[in-house]
Amino acid sequence: MNVVITPAMIAQVVISGLLSGTLYAMVALGLALIFGVMRVINIAHGPMLMLGAYVTFFLYSAFGVNPYLTLPASMAVLFVLGMLLERTLVFRVVDAPELSSLLLTFGISIALVNLAQLAFTSDLRAVEFLTGSFVIGPVAVSKPRIVAFAFAAIITAAAFLFLRNTKLGKAIRATSQSRDVAMVCGINVGRIHLITFGFAAALAAAGGTLIAVIVAIQPEMGQIWTFKSFLVIVLGGAGNYPGALVGGMLLGLIEQLASLFLTTQLSEAVAYVLLVLVLLIRPTGILGGRST
Amino acid sequence: MTAALELDAVKKSFGGVTAVNGVSLRLEPGRIYGLIGPNGSGKTTLFNCITGVERRDAGRIFFQGERIDGLKPWQIAVKGVGRTFQVTRVFPELSALENLLVVTRGDRAAAERRGRELLAFVKLEQLAGEYAGNLSYGQQKLVEFVRVLMRDPSLVLLDEPAAGVNRTLLNDLLEAVRRLRDEGRTVLLVEHDMKVVMGLCEVVFVLDHGDKIAEGPPGIIQADERVIEAYFGR
Repeated sequence: MNVVITPAMIAQVVISGLLSGTLYAMVALGLALIFGVMRVINIAHGPMLMLGAYVTFFLYSAFGVNPYLTLPASMAVLFVLGMLLERTLVFRVVDAPELSSLLLTFGISIALVNLAQLAFTSDLRAVEFLTGSFVIGPVAVSKPRIVAFAFAAIITAAAFLFLRNTKLGKAIRATSQSRDVAMVCGINVGRIHLITFGFAAALAAAGGTLIAVIVAIQPEMGQIWTFKSFLVIVLGGAGNYPGALVGGMLLGLIEQLASLFLTTQLSEAVAYVLLVLVLLIRPTGILGGRST
Repeated sequence: MTAALELDAVKKSFGGVTAVNGVSLRLEPGRIYGLIGPNGSGKTTLFNCITGVERRDAGRIFFQGERIDGLKPWQIAVKGVGRTFQVTRVFPELSALENLLVVTRGDRAAAERRGRELLAFVKLEQLAGEYAGNLSYGQQKLVEFVRVLMRDPSLVLLDEPAAGVNRTLLNDLLEAVRRLRDEGRTVLLVEHDMKVVMGLCEVVFVLDHGDKIAEGPPGIIQADERVIEAYFGR
């Protein structure tokens, strides 16, 4: 196979990679938060994204709401659902061995997907709202991807500012740095867990809303996002929140780069090969575990 | 007078190992108490039971006459029990000042003023913005110590406050502990440095294998045969 790489192709790869990378970073930040604060890997993270996409689809198809204006609604719905799941189920496994929390969230994931199939059927749904591309010189970028990037960048920046500067954000970071100390310092750790889980679910929901305009919506659309988010936090260093940004961008770029050389199916596999390699060679992530 | 802290036959075991075996003790307000004993005698476990980090198996714990065993650690902290850890624990990725602010509620400006005062009190005001993880061990210890004071606790539990602190800082630290007492707070400290214990504490409790084997003024404790035996063997 002979591939001629032109500068225009590189530009296309970089731009597309950074656009999708931002979306990955936002969704993965949710997974990283839950892992950092509760030491739980939430397999149900992707299915929560799927539910967010359905919120957008129904508001769009039933009431004709601009899908981007459904962001607050899908985030709010999943924030509440996330807190409900935490309070009824997930809190029980916070101190249990990892296997318990993996199995529980795996079970929640299966339940959410099957309930969605029951309630919404497996039909492919689409939100045909924004189509076409912006063409700048040799680079073409689809409009919904640009818009998704913009919203994801804003939401991610807001999430980091929240973690960095607010009292609650600092309490969340303190809890993830040392739960015991947070407790004896008077931080209600149970409440922090509750809010973190809801917050993470809302980030997943935002991802669901933004990709609802890009891809087909169906109950099984979410699982791949669990794995991609996991890959992102492994790349960036689990438990390290800025690492989610780095990992997201890397995943976006790698996927785009792979698509230059490989068929679509093969380039999907690249991410997983990479996951195995990183876990083997540098399990603390590119940035190396926790860092500021 | 209501005791600052009262333990009534508190027991805690891990598997088959009894760490605290029915310990009762009473702390009067505004005094400095010491808790000593050989390694593994149950001192830290007792701290953990008082602060709710470990759930006691039996017995009752009263703070200012109010039963606190069974409360969550954060609830006990909010009531006014502060503690430090044997191996110092700060939030490494928060700044020194943020370490103090994260434990407070209410007025942010007032909390920040208080936080800066406390950092100045231990001569760390220059390092307020530095990540706590980048400070030296002794400095982290001081951050942890003043973090306890942010909530204005009436009972302060210090787990080996002197370990790893240099001599100059140590005198400041001891002075600070005395000042806590003078402000009417009650202090209970675990310490291996006998000079610190003898110089600071008014009453000393001695634990051995989870039992309280002696209690009294430091001078008398030092001469107590059971204590000598627990430390040095017969």
